Amino acid sequence: MKRTMVFLFAALFLVATLTSACTSAPKEAEPIKIGIFEPLTGANAAGGQMELEGIKVAHSLKGEVLGRKIVLVEMDNKSDDVEAVTAAERLVNEEKVAVVVGSWGSSVCIAAGPTFEAAKIPAIGTSCTNPLVTLDNDYYFRVCYLDDFQGTLLANFAKQNGYMKAGVIVDVSDTYAIGLRNFFVEAYGKDNIVAEAKFNKGDQDFTAQITTVMAAKPDVIFAPSGYTEAGLMMSQARQMGYNDVLFLGGDTWETEAMIEVGGAATEACRFTTFFDADAEPTAESKQFLEAYDKMFGGKPKGAVTALGYDAYMAAVAAIEKAGSTDGVALQKALTELDIVGVTGRCTFDENGDAIKNQAIIKTVEGGAFKYVTTVVVD
Amino acid sequence: MEKRQIKGFVANLNPKKRRNLLLSSISITALLLFLYFSNEGILMGSYGVRVLNLCAVYAVLTLSMNLINGFTGQFSLGTAGFMAVGAYTTALLILPVEIKEKIFYLEPMVPWLKDVHWAGNLGFLGALLTAGVLTAFIAFLIGFPVLRLKGDYLAIATLGFSEIIRVIFTNMQNLTNGSTGIKSIPPIANMWWTFGVMAFFTIFMVRLMKTSYGRAFKSIRDDEVAAESMGISLFRHKMLSFVLSGFIAGVGGGLMASVVGAITPIFFRFILTYDILLIVVLGGMGSITGSIVGAFLITIAKEWLRWLDGGFSLGFVRIPAIAGMRMVVFSVLLMLVILFYRRGLFGGREFSFDWLINSLSALPKRVFSLFKKGGAAK
Repeated sequence: MKRTMVFLFAALFLVATLTSACTSAPKEAEPIKIGIFEPLTGANAAGGQMELEGIKVAHSLKGEVLGRKIVLVEMDNKSDDVEAVTAAERLVNEEKVAVVVGSWGSSVCIAAGPTFEAAKIPAIGTSCTNPLVTLDNDYYFRVCYLDDFQGTLLANFAKQNGYMKAGVIVDVSDTYAIGLRNFFVEAYGKDNIVAEAKFNKGDQDFTAQITTVMAAKPDVIFAPSGYTEAGLMMSQARQMGYNDVLFLGGDTWETEAMIEVGGAATEACRFTTFFDADAEPTAESKQFLEAYDKMFGGKPKGAVTALGYDAYMAAVAAIEKAGSTDGVALQKALTELDIVGVTGRCTFDENGDAIKNQAIIKTVEGGAFKYVTTVVVD
Repeated sequence: MEKRQIKGFVANLNPKKRRNLLLSSISITALLLFLYFSNEGILMGSYGVRVLNLCAVYAVLTLSMNLINGFTGQFSLGTAGFMAVGAYTTALLILPVEIKEKIFYLEPMVPWLKDVHWAGNLGFLGALLTAGVLTAFIAFLIGFPVLRLKGDYLAIATLGFSEIIRVIFTNMQNLTNGSTGIKSIPPIANMWWTFGVMAFFTIFMVRLMKTSYGRAFKSIRDDEVAAESMGISLFRHKMLSFVLSGFIAGVGGGLMASVVGAITPIFFRFILTYDILLIVVLGGMGSITGSIVGAFLITIAKEWLRWLDGGFSLGFVRIPAIAGMRMVVFSVLLMLVILFYRRGLFGGREFSFDWLINSLSALPKRVFSLFKKGGAAK
C-alpha cells in the first residue's frame, strides 16, 4: 500500500515536471515582462489579491506597448520579508522583468527595495505607505498618497466642518498610524488637541482610552488604526453612551470587516480613501469600472484595486515614454511622468512618492460604505 | 621531520579510517571550491547565492533549536525572540551613522548608540559576537523562571517571552525605531560568512555532543529522573543548553538581518519559530545532519516549487495559475515525509562515510526487491 502510494506520487510528480518543462511559450516578437510583486498568500493575501485584480483589469485594457505584448509575471511574496527578497531576486534575475508593480504592505517592499535598486529595475509601489520604502532608493516609486497628504487633509476637513476640538487615540505599534497622527496634529494645531491616548495593535479593550479622551469633551476623535481596532473602538464608545462624537480615520478603515466588528456604531465615522465607485465618474474611472465589471463582476471590493490599476498604467506609460525597457531610461521616465489615473492626477517627487491632488471622504450608512465627498487640493 | 610524522600517522590508520580521511578532505575541498565559485558569481546568479545564504542561516537557526528541543528534550519556542535580539543588536552596530540619522526620523536615536558604527568584516564579527553574548545573557535571565517548567508549559512560557521581546522592541522607538523598522543594513554576510558560521556551529555541536555535557543533555532528554539519580544537575544542564541555544540563535538572527537587509518587529512573530521547528522535526529531532539537510531541503524546495504557482499541465488536465499552489504541494510533501519517516529524515542518526557507503552498496539490492514479485503487495 505504502509503496504503491510512493510510486503513484513519484510518477505524478515526474509527469508534472516534465510536461511543465515542455510547455514553454512559442516564439513571437519578444514580449515585455511586468513583474507583479504581491502577497498572494499569507497574512496580507486579501490586500494582495485586490491589487492583483486591478492590475489584471489594467492589463486587459492595455496589453501592448511599443508594438510588443505585455506579459504579467506573478510573484508571490507570501507577506514575508525573507520570501520577499528571494521573490524580488527571482523577478529581476531569473524572469528578467522590465518593471515591477507592488506591493500591498510596506515591510516586504523595504526588504526587497535594495534588490530592485541593485538590478536598476524600477518598482512602482501600490499601497506601501511607510516612508522607508522610497527613502534613499531611486528605483522605488509609489502611487498611493502618503501620511502627510492624508493627515493634513483630514485635519482641514474636520476644521472646515466645525469640529474645533479633537482627541487622538493612536496605535503606537503601527508606523502608518504614527505618521498620520503627526501630520494631523501639525495641521490641526497642537493647542486644539484636547487629549491623547495610545494603544497597541491587537488590543481588544479601548474603554480606558475612550474615557481619558472623552473627559476632555472633544468634538471629534482622530483614531488612525487598523480596521478591527477602529470597529471595536466605535462600538465601545457607543456602549459607553458617547453617541455624538465623530470618529475620523485613514484609508485602512475601508474594509468590510470594520462594519462587521463595529456594527451600527461605525455610522459615526468619516475616513479618507483613494477611490470610490460611486464618486462622480471621470473618463478613466468609468473605463476602469466597466472593465472590472466585465472581468470579475460587480464593483471593486476596495480602493487598493484602483491603486493596482494606476500602478500598472504608470508602468506602461513609463515604458512608452522611455521608448525602451532599459531600467535606467525607465527610472528617468518615471521621474518625469505626469498621468491621470483612476485615483486622480499623479506625478512623482524626488523621493519617488506620488504627488496627488484628490482624496475621497467616506462614511458608513445602513451597514455599507457610503460616499460623502471628493476633496481636490491644489 | 613533521612531514614524516604526518605520513606515519596516516600509515598507522586502518584502511577504513584512511578512506574516510581521504573522502573528508575531498569533500571539504569540493565545498570550498563550490563556495568560491558561487560567491564570485561564476556558478550561479545572485538569486541562487541568496537562496543558498538563506539555507545556511536557517541551518544555524535549526541547530540552535535542535540543541534545546532535540538534544536536551526541552520544548522551547523562544527562537524568534532570541533572533530578534541578535538581529537588532547586529543591525544597530553595523549600520552606518548617516543611515541611522535618516531612518530615525520620528524620534532621534539614543545618544550612546547614535555614532557607533562597526565597519567591515571585523566589525561584523564583533557585532555577531556581541549579538550572541547579549542573546545568551537574555536567555540566562529568562531561563531562571521558565526552565522550572516542563513540556507544554515550558513551550507556552518561552513563546510568551518571545512575544514580550517583540512588543518591547515595537515600543522602544528611540532604540529600535519601533514599528518602522530598520533598513539598509549592510549586506556583509556573503557565502563565506553564512557557510563559515554554519560550519563553525556544526563542528561545535558535534564536539559538544561528545563531551560529558552533551551526554548529560541527551540523558535529560531520555529520562529526567534517571539522569538526576545519576548525579546530573538538571537545572544547570538545562540552563547551559538554553543559553547556548540562545547564543546560536542570536548569531543566526544577526546573519539573517544582514542577509535580508531590513528588519521590523513584525518579522519576528511566533510564525518564524514554527518555520524553524518545521525544519527541526523534518530533519530529525536530535540529529545535526538532519538540521543541515532539513534546512537546505526546505528552503530550496520552497523556492523550487514556485513553478507550481504559474499553472502547469499534468498531461491530461491543465491546472490554471493559482497563487499558493506551491504551498499546497509543499504541505502534501511534508505529510508524505512524516508518514514514511516518522522520526524525521534522519531520526536521531548522523551522517558518516561508513553509513553512506553501506547504504549506497545496499541500494541496488533494495531497488531490486521493490520490483520483485509481491514486493509492492505488502
